[in-house]
Amino acid sequence: METVLNIKELKVWFYTRRGIFRALNGVNLILRKGEVLGIAGESGSGKSTLGLSIMALLPYNAVIIKGGSIYIKSKNTLETFDLFDESQLRRKFSMRKNRRIMNKISNSLSKLRGKLVSMVFQEPMTSLNPLLQVGYQIAETIVAHNSSYLAKRILSRIKVTNSDLKEVLNLVTSSNNVEDELKRYAKNKGLEGIESQILYILGRKDLSRTRKERAILTLKEKKKNFLTMNYLKRVAENRSLGIYSILDRLPFVKRFFSRILLKEGYRRAVELLSLLNIPHAEKVVYMYPHELSGGMRQRVAIAIAISNNPDIIILDEPTSALDVIVQNQILQLISELKSKFNLSFIFISHDLSVLAEVCDRIAIMYGGRIVEVAPIDKIFYEPLHPYTKGLIKAIPKITKESMTLESIPGTVPDMRNPPSGCMFHPRCPYAMEICRKQIPKSIEYNKDHFVECFLYGEQ
Amino acid sequence: MTNYIIAAYDLKKYFPVGGFLFSSKQTVKAVDGVNIKIKENEVLGLVGETGCGKTTLGKLLIRLIEPTSGEILFNVPEEIIHEYEQALENKDYKKTGKISKQYSLLNKKGSELRKLRRYMNIVFQDPYSSLNPRMLVKDIIAEPMLSTGYASKKEAEDIVFKLLEEVGLTPEFAFRYPHELSGGQRQRVALARGISTLPKFLVLDEPTSALDVSVQAQILNLINEIKRKYSISLLFISHNISVVHYMSDRIAIMYAGRVVEEGDKNSVIFDAKHPYSKALISAIPKPEPLREKIFVNLQGEIPNLINPPKGCRFHPRCPVAFELCGWTADEVLSDLEYIIMQRYAEYFKGIKSISIEDDFTLNILCENSNPFDKRLLEIIEKEKNELKSLVSIKSIKQESQNIRVELYRYIEPSMYKVNGSVYVRCLLYKNNDEKQR
Repeated sequence: METVLNIKELKVWFYTRRGIFRALNGVNLILRKGEVLGIAGESGSGKSTLGLSIMALLPYNAVIIKGGSIYIKSKNTLETFDLFDESQLRRKFSMRKNRRIMNKISNSLSKLRGKLVSMVFQEPMTSLNPLLQVGYQIAETIVAHNSSYLAKRILSRIKVTNSDLKEVLNLVTSSNNVEDELKRYAKNKGLEGIESQILYILGRKDLSRTRKERAILTLKEKKKNFLTMNYLKRVAENRSLGIYSILDRLPFVKRFFSRILLKEGYRRAVELLSLLNIPHAEKVVYMYPHELSGGMRQRVAIAIAISNNPDIIILDEPTSALDVIVQNQILQLISELKSKFNLSFIFISHDLSVLAEVCDRIAIMYGGRIVEVAPIDKIFYEPLHPYTKGLIKAIPKITKESMTLESIPGTVPDMRNPPSGCMFHPRCPYAMEICRKQIPKSIEYNKDHFVECFLYGEQ
Repeated sequence: MTNYIIAAYDLKKYFPVGGFLFSSKQTVKAVDGVNIKIKENEVLGLVGETGCGKTTLGKLLIRLIEPTSGEILFNVPEEIIHEYEQALENKDYKKTGKISKQYSLLNKKGSELRKLRRYMNIVFQDPYSSLNPRMLVKDIIAEPMLSTGYASKKEAEDIVFKLLEEVGLTPEFAFRYPHELSGGQRQRVALARGISTLPKFLVLDEPTSALDVSVQAQILNLINEIKRKYSISLLFISHNISVVHYMSDRIAIMYAGRVVEEGDKNSVIFDAKHPYSKALISAIPKPEPLREKIFVNLQGEIPNLINPPKGCRFHPRCPVAFELCGWTADEVLSDLEYIIMQRYAEYFKGIKSISIEDDFTLNILCENSNPFDKRLLEIIEKEKNELKSLVSIKSIKQESQNIRVELYRYIEPSMYKVNGSVYVRCLLYKNNDEKQR
């Protein structure tokens, strides 16, 4: 399978007044196309930092250490930057220089963010802007990254003729593979962008068949004025904006042109939201986040994340603030999206039972390292690392017999001065002499089952 | 003979919302008619979604907030409970008054109440906000002992160190401030404060939801140990059903301010009766990736408790709702409008408007006297499964330009006994209950 994300030896430390906080200490991770990779661990194990470093959303006091790399679709996002060496950190570290580096990394990724990788955060109330309509927030991301797609959609509606639409209607009713047929038809006729609109109308459940047909037949739009048409064509073909780039500097004119695209963004937002099973999406896009329930807000956040068809979506505890029933709906939605669009997900959560519902593989993090990665059934039924075993025993299970929970003694280490050798040795029941001295290497114990522990393999 | 630590009858708490000064008319019915009994040494688990009134109920039971109406009896012998219940059924208010005078928590005042406070306590959800950041741990733990007069200042200090050891903390923690502790340690301190006066009844309000799995396991085991040692009755409130199942003897499931199912933990979890409990339990994430996943999908959202649905509060979302569940005209109106004005608009050209006459009748006004009623009935029959509210339509009669739609009258469900100790608030089990009597 194709690899979409490859992280090698990633080290991210935080420079604080009370010392250096070693959040990530050499993370190696691979994400394949069309899979959900779960990342589990206690709070403070570096799960969220990992997600943020992929997105390059780290704060300024974060230091990415030289030698690490993040390959997003075979492009190393950290390649061109002059990062700090581990030894430099004690003596020659300058906060200002680091700030400059972090800024550069962040800027270089701003074009990929949302388009290649996107992220859904834990608290949908804080990650959405309370002052903007939900539809605006979705439309904004599409306009920023994919305005040509929006322009194509408008143009296709203008270009299409009534006889074309009738032909489409026949096509839709006769063939059984509607999606492919439509795409081919649109390409032949030069009407790219119309297929998603027709598919959306066909997928609606609240309209009767005749109404749907009427909705398709009324898709045709009137021609707009010359200036607008020219602008849309330029945007659609990704040509330079020419005179419009000058006009764009005038606030009134700018608003006039961007409104056309935004309006189309709202239309697309309705389609996205109803794809995520939100009823009455055409009303919801005009609402503000506080008017929506927690589950709806999280769906909006997911809609923003998938709006530009990214390859990777990072979900940082997307269901922790939600109730069981809503959580279940969101989890089902994620599996649905995965199979429908072949997306890759990184699902960060502290709750292993939630991960068990959706993931294909699970990575267990401890002390800024990934101590075990394996397919889901291996993690739950044949765990290798003592920490994984402890975590699984600590989950309360619903069984008829009475059971006792086993907990892991001790607490998460303070990463300002982490223990030597294997980070887990102070809490490990099998700790040996070697564990205190050396950091174990990752070995492939079984096919696709990696573990970092001296108990396994010969090291 | 066992005592009942807490017995609450028809407990209600309405919070006023909106309005200016004295003119507030609307209320949020956070807890609406809850009966709950907890025996000595028993753990009752309380499960429900956010906003269903779990926490409010917990606070009501130890009188942190005053109920709008209802009765709470504290520490009552079993035979008196039976007497009280019988008197309630016979509407013998003289007798109930007499019993509640002796046992009720609600008519206690001042020093009398303060003395009683010794016997009940609460551990809050978020250990980051429930501990005073300006007090030392030892003062935090000693506070309830001093305020209830359980111990003198000197005695309290000795007890603090004993308690710290009890909850697995070393004595030096006594001289620390809460911000120096981790989440798990804070929750241990909160627990030590909770048991400092040797209470008989302890409310645990989501004590582990802010903690990691491994720490959660530590705290849960600690709670179990303490409970066994001091024989405390617990009300364990949580939205995590696996945790509640691990901790409790009995489980009560709440929905929109009411207990919908209550009973022995295994029969509630493995053989849920109420449609809501079924959906809730099917949605629990389980750490078994290879199991077959069967979900009961629920549509819609939790109802607004300012104006909750009539009859059974779950009926708008219920997959098995039938005509008596609580449908009223406004629910039917929105569905009829959708059918007539939108989905099948082409069949109903000529229908002008739909209006509500009273709670159980609707009027449809037509422009002409075409016979719409038969077609409407056909379509309703077809759409019943999708649009649940249409099942409540009793009859449709057309008189020239006016169509009259009549609905069934709903029945308010109460707790019906299913078997053993399981009670369900669902009309499906009404007959079952009557048979058993």
